Amino acid sequence: MSAQPPDGEVLLAVDNISLSFGGVKALADVSFDVRRGEIRAIIGPNGAGKSSMLNVINGVYHPQQGTVRFRGETRRRVDPHRAAANGIARTFQNIALFKGMSVLDNIMTGRNLKMRATLFEQAIYVGRNRREELVHREKVEQIIDFLQIEHIRKTPVGRLPYGLQKRVELARALAAEPALLLLDEPMAGMNVEEKQDMCRFVLDVNEEFGTTIVLIEHDMGVVMDISERVVVLDYGRKIADGSPQEVRANPAVIDAYLGVAH
Amino acid sequence: MFYREAGQFRTSYAADQQLFAIRQDRLAVLALLAVAFVGVPLAANDYWFTAILIPFLVFSLAALGLNILTGYAGQLSLGSAAFMAVGAVAAYNLELRVPGLPLLASFILAGVCAALVGAAFGLPSLRIKGFYLAVATLAAQFFIPWLLVKVGWFSNYSSSGVITAQPMEILGYVFDTPAEKYLLVLTVVALLALAAKNMVRSAVGRAWMAVRDMDVAAEVIGIRIVRTKLTAFAVSSFYCGVAGALYAYAYVGTVQPEDLNLDLSFRILFMVIIGGVGSILGSFLGAAFITLLPIFLEVLLTFLEHRFNLNLAPGTTSMVQLLAFGALIVFFLIVEPLGLARLWQIAKEKLRLWPFPH
Amino acid sequence: MQFFFEVLIGGLLAGVMYSLVALGFVLIFKASGVFNFAQGAMVFFAALVFVTLQEKLAAPFWLAFALTLVVMVLVGILTERVVLRPLVNQPQISLFMATIGLAFFVEGAAQLVQLWAFRDISPRPLALGFQDAPIDWLLARFNMLVSRFDAFAALVAGALVAALALFFNKTRVGRALRAVADDHQAALSVGIPLKYIWAIVWSVAGFVALVAGLMWGARSGVQFALTLVALKALPVLILGGFESIAGAIVGGLIIGAAEKLAEVYLGPYVGGGIEGWFAYVLALLFLLVRPEGLFGEKHIDRV
Repeated sequence: MSAQPPDGEVLLAVDNISLSFGGVKALADVSFDVRRGEIRAIIGPNGAGKSSMLNVINGVYHPQQGTVRFRGETRRRVDPHRAAANGIARTFQNIALFKGMSVLDNIMTGRNLKMRATLFEQAIYVGRNRREELVHREKVEQIIDFLQIEHIRKTPVGRLPYGLQKRVELARALAAEPALLLLDEPMAGMNVEEKQDMCRFVLDVNEEFGTTIVLIEHDMGVVMDISERVVVLDYGRKIADGSPQEVRANPAVIDAYLGVAH
Repeated sequence: MFYREAGQFRTSYAADQQLFAIRQDRLAVLALLAVAFVGVPLAANDYWFTAILIPFLVFSLAALGLNILTGYAGQLSLGSAAFMAVGAVAAYNLELRVPGLPLLASFILAGVCAALVGAAFGLPSLRIKGFYLAVATLAAQFFIPWLLVKVGWFSNYSSSGVITAQPMEILGYVFDTPAEKYLLVLTVVALLALAAKNMVRSAVGRAWMAVRDMDVAAEVIGIRIVRTKLTAFAVSSFYCGVAGALYAYAYVGTVQPEDLNLDLSFRILFMVIIGGVGSILGSFLGAAFITLLPIFLEVLLTFLEHRFNLNLAPGTTSMVQLLAFGALIVFFLIVEPLGLARLWQIAKEKLRLWPFPH
Repeated sequence: MQFFFEVLIGGLLAGVMYSLVALGFVLIFKASGVFNFAQGAMVFFAALVFVTLQEKLAAPFWLAFALTLVVMVLVGILTERVVLRPLVNQPQISLFMATIGLAFFVEGAAQLVQLWAFRDISPRPLALGFQDAPIDWLLARFNMLVSRFDAFAALVAGALVAALALFFNKTRVGRALRAVADDHQAALSVGIPLKYIWAIVWSVAGFVALVAGLMWGARSGVQFALTLVALKALPVLILGGFESIAGAIVGGLIIGAAEKLAEVYLGPYVGGGIEGWFAYVLALLFLLVRPEGLFGEKHIDRV
């Protein structure tokens, strides 16, 4: 794996995204870009539209206006599985693991996209399917090693503590070898130690695999430490965009967090 | 302590991915197959074959089909018996109208017909979930037997759509004794069970379970929901279709499509619930349970009648059966939602330590 | 043209009967989110208990009615306690399958009662005083055959719906029921006693089942086939929406009319028997177009 410093090339750009549900405007005319190889944070008070923004990027929500430009392709409506096939992976705020399966199976499911054996070949198993399963199992085991979850690989995910579940979700997202990784509050509900571990993993993913990362995070310390640029949303609008230091000093941002009426 | 895994190291992923990774499991399965293929034919009598073993195998296959759809893919279906009917009628027509078609090919093609019909009735699953989907499958369950009876061509214009299966013949050898029929059905069911086990531990099985557990997340990681659901319906209906063909050819001989009704669909669903949703073994356990329960109840009631000099009206057994089914379903759903298969798993875990307490 | 109206009215009135059963479903679904597959079995059970009391114990109508009502209330409360409460946090499918099990149990129990009381399972007649004979003045005036009994059934259904509507909208208990249907947690937090409420709901549902059982029993005799009527209620609910009383009525009318019209006008082309599946196929098509039903609420999944 080669380390790729941010080389200035734009990997993802959202332009003038507006999204409403019924009468509620979740996002209003939001635009920003993400350079290849960087770690970009999206922050803002609760209800600002951060998760909705991620949902728009990977096609779960379809915006009424605006476009998403990813790897040169511009679209307004993307199907989630199309987005996955193009190289976007994500984790969810409330863990979206497959509760009925083990850790290993959950991560292997992340590789389903890359498997080619037909139904018939899978029914027979020996031959092409067995070879494929082993090849992908190797890859998955590399990720398991990387995230240090070997000891729980056969455990059903429903039995795992919250912090480990979050790590397994990250593993599943990584299994797809994505170009862009969207993390929705990866450190929510974690104590200090767990947060440090997760930060380290996120940084490792970025440095070792060169994955571009967009993450939503509430913990300012984490945001300051690991992100290179920050977008601030409030009531669905973008109110700041820049380096962590710039954003922290921005009076509009401070007002938003303090709840000053505007 | 006999079930210890200690000392059995798996040193490669290939070894870990084996179907039966623990030596004791391998031995147990081999023993089971030996008993099934060799021991039973030697020991059992005709009654056991025709009244217990063959229906058990046939319904296991149907339960397997339903388990794939409802247990693994999470799509509730009340139409399994209808797809069995499609399989039975399709096999009959293939044998009748395509001269020289090998018997097993007829069975497989009958399964394919059922798969196509199943996929068609599965289309609503793309828009509706949960028990709303059950209503769609109810439509299949009421419509299909009606159609099979109404369109005379299906039953070669016999009255009330009854079809009488031709004798089973492979390469000149006729399977007409109960023991022979049993072995044929056993072979088919064993192979299809293996195929099912292979599918659920491969990509398609993981896709089914992902759609069952959280379809939004599944979509996000690249699983095509439409394709996955339709595949589940198709494969499940294939299994039910083959079960239907076996039902006609090896079990009842004469099929009235109206017998493959909602009551039977419920029965198959009960096999899946009691045996264990999402478990291949569970389908067999559930089928055994439901097949043996009526016999057990009959014996019990006869005993009670004589012992306590009761005067039970005729038909009491079937009423008590309904009562027992209902009570058992509720019991299992409350106490052990994962059914007999889970109880078996727990027993195995206890066997790891037995006779030591911890 | 007149024949068309005859068939239409016949169908509508048959539909009213479906609505009666569907009402029971709606009540329980509204209050506890559970689709009680066993409602049909309960209709059968209620009718059977009533007939047994009437015939075997020679009880007068009002006494048989009251006693059966008590029995139904007990059945409802037991169901809630034994079957539903342990499954409170399980997915909807589990609850649904549990009610299927319950349906089988109640059917078995009902038939055992029938066997014990009457020694056979042929349909028991149930007399309510209205014959299935044409209404004379309609026959004379418009030359149309409309059954006296069907008209009576429509009146009963109408009265029942009016009573239920009043109950839900104008009484304190009714308001509490609607609160519980909307949001259990919120209802608890304003002090509404959930268990007490559920007992009430199941009792009312039992009452509705009894009325439906009486009507259906009088129409076609008390027999096991009554439970199949419950299945017909499913398409009714899909058309009308699972949570709407108005929907149960409208849905029932539409299904009843459509079924009859299809059988009469389309049936001859395909050899008859359409009534067995038409309602379900209609419901299926409806599900594809408007899954929440005519009066139901749309559900939005948030991620």
